[in-house]
Amino acid sequence: MKAIALGALRQESAQRSGPVIIGKVKMDIPSRGNRPIGRLIDELRAQVRAWMAALGLPERWSEWRVSLRRRFRLSLLTTALLGICLVLVLTPRRARIEGPAAPQLEVGTALVMGSVQNRQNQAIVAVEIAVVPASGGEAIAEGLTQSDGRYILVLPKSIPEKLTVEIRRGHYRKAAIELSPSDLLILRDGRPVVLPPTILLRSLGPAFWITALIFLAVLALMATGKQHNTLAALVGVASLLAVSYLGSPVREDLFIFDFRSALLYVDWNVIFLIMGMMIVIAVVEETGVFQWLAFKSYQLSGGRRWLLLAMLMVVAGVTSALLDNVTTMLLMAPITVQIALALGMNPLALLMPEVMASNVFGISTLIGTPTNILIGSYAHISFSGFLFNLTPGVILALGGLIVYAEWQYRQELVSEDGASAELLQRLSERGRILQPEELRKAGWVGAAMLAMFFFGERVHLLPSVTALVGATALLAWIKPDMEKMMEAIDWTTLVFFIAIFIVVGAIQEVGVISYVADGIGWLVGDSLVLAMLAVIWMGAILSTVIANIPFSAAMLPVVGHLSATVPGAEGKVLFYCLAVGSAMGGNGSLIGASANMVTAGIAERAGFPITYAYFLKQGAPAVLLTVSLATLWLLLRFYVLG
Amino acid sequence: MTTAAIRQIVCAVRGGPESRETVKRAIAVALESGAKLTFFHVMDAEFLGYATHGTLRVVYHELREMGKFAMIILCDRAQARGVAQVDYLLREGNVRTQLRNLAIETGAEAIVIGQPTKSATKNLFNAAEFDAFVTDLEREGNLRVIQVQPAPIAEKDLQGGLVL
Repeated sequence: MKAIALGALRQESAQRSGPVIIGKVKMDIPSRGNRPIGRLIDELRAQVRAWMAALGLPERWSEWRVSLRRRFRLSLLTTALLGICLVLVLTPRRARIEGPAAPQLEVGTALVMGSVQNRQNQAIVAVEIAVVPASGGEAIAEGLTQSDGRYILVLPKSIPEKLTVEIRRGHYRKAAIELSPSDLLILRDGRPVVLPPTILLRSLGPAFWITALIFLAVLALMATGKQHNTLAALVGVASLLAVSYLGSPVREDLFIFDFRSALLYVDWNVIFLIMGMMIVIAVVEETGVFQWLAFKSYQLSGGRRWLLLAMLMVVAGVTSALLDNVTTMLLMAPITVQIALALGMNPLALLMPEVMASNVFGISTLIGTPTNILIGSYAHISFSGFLFNLTPGVILALGGLIVYAEWQYRQELVSEDGASAELLQRLSERGRILQPEELRKAGWVGAAMLAMFFFGERVHLLPSVTALVGATALLAWIKPDMEKMMEAIDWTTLVFFIAIFIVVGAIQEVGVISYVADGIGWLVGDSLVLAMLAVIWMGAILSTVIANIPFSAAMLPVVGHLSATVPGAEGKVLFYCLAVGSAMGGNGSLIGASANMVTAGIAERAGFPITYAYFLKQGAPAVLLTVSLATLWLLLRFYVLG
Repeated sequence: MTTAAIRQIVCAVRGGPESRETVKRAIAVALESGAKLTFFHVMDAEFLGYATHGTLRVVYHELREMGKFAMIILCDRAQARGVAQVDYLLREGNVRTQLRNLAIETGAEAIVIGQPTKSATKNLFNAAEFDAFVTDLEREGNLRVIQVQPAPIAEKDLQGGLVL
């Protein structure tokens, strides 16, 4: 029966018409004709096909397989992404991992404990503490202060008649505490003696002045452009170490710090965060998305120049917040010049507002500007911290900047002359995504990284770890040429950051920062508003003459001192003020931000030079406007609303 | 050398308003002599030293495209003014070296080039360097260098529509 049925089916099949796919073989099978069951099946099949078409599902099995595989991968990714977010959200905040546990002590051990601070009540690390018999001779106990400035010294069982605790550290005046008879009795009983906190005062030796001079020389070399920034910073490091190692054998007070102490000032979180982001950016920039965005802005504006200007500013701003402003301008500026030329307008009317918007809007995220990366790492400000506390102010400032740019370049924007349809057509060929697959993958990894930046703070996930994990995942997924990817990492910049950390560490070590902080502290007194205004506007003004990265790096400990001393500044408000001042102030001059310099370079290559005077003329009012608006927001957020 | 003896002219320009007079002169000479006009643009990316940026391959590509775009505009303008044979050449590297190489390689009879200006723009040459360069170029390339004094560019020239 079965054989007959199969044979009938084959016979029946032979009567059908139209192509049918069986396995991988395509066969022509005649139609069922008018038979009711066949018609029903045909109708059902047609109905299913219609549903599938409506849902965007493929008809054939081979397509199904590809689609399912893609959907599976996509859903796997989505699940993984959501899972990570869920874990990060639900995980309770844990305490920070503490340092090694204190050694187990026997009951009845005599201890001398205390802490050492500077004049700003901040802990001083690595202070040498020695308990010395007053009669002279060797110390009976020695140790160093830890990261919190505390020390614990274990004394031997036999306690001499008189004891002095000697406290000394390079670049500070020596201090000594003579233990009282009652303290000695306590120690002989095998109990601990807790000494009051010791305040160490700075000493102004030759090392102080030499370090200050070297720092100023490094800043001058950078500001004048006489040397590459990295070389200038390296010259500073080499000079500091040379003075320390070669000078100190001649005069002890020439010692600044040793190599090991110098490296302790390097913030590796910043270095690895920048490195990770460089890899991600290197993948993204090859996809053509920056050029596509710029061209799409033109298309969406419909040739209306005022709208094009506003759209390019928003695109440059948002892209800068998610990647970085230098990359954004390097890749958007050339196509912006071409759009402007095709429209017959002065490219500077688009380029200047674009770079200013990228400098302003980058502040809204932790990774948007190098200064935010520095500030975030130093002050432990999270991604969401920047986003929630600064973004409203930044949006306000960007709005003001757009209005200013529309007014400033109104002559260019109202004119409709000079547009060339041929050139615009030629340009449209370039405004497309070159590597859609890589962009899709980078988009997924970027989304995961944003989620990790955002929620990772709950488990104290460092941004550098997120950047490295994201960069590695992207590399593993797209499998690029590793040699090319390693070239994508800007080692020059990383060396620059390492060197600038050491140079700034030196002025911190010898006390220059303390004196600057004391000076600013004296000016602002106990007023939070004055402190906020001082940090914002000093940052904005000085960033126009000093490159904002070394400036911010030097200001971090100063702002740290102020945060510890000004009432109400504990909430990191002054660090947000520094972020606003240093980044928005960069719009005040050509050398204020790296993005300005690369934009000027590109404009000059196109025959539209941006001079120092031109930048200052256009940028100074923009700084005044944007910083004022951002100041209003910061005052509202931190002073009025608390 | 009269313009009648010129069969090929190279016009070395960066683009932009400061190149306007140089381009005009090159077109005029090309029309007078019936010579082929080649616009020459050198892409130097020295400024990228300011960038905190690693991979410059994409940026170089973008700069090349930008230079090409400016040269296409100039070619269109020259054709619109009646020059029969126009093309452009794009090179990368040091401007002086590339100009010298081009003069020798192409066998052009004339190069039209703008003199250094007194504007705040960064000039490629100072006046003395320019004179020495022109003398060398004429000797080595056996050609005539037509120097053009660029018209000073005021800020208003940069606004209200751009005419190259």
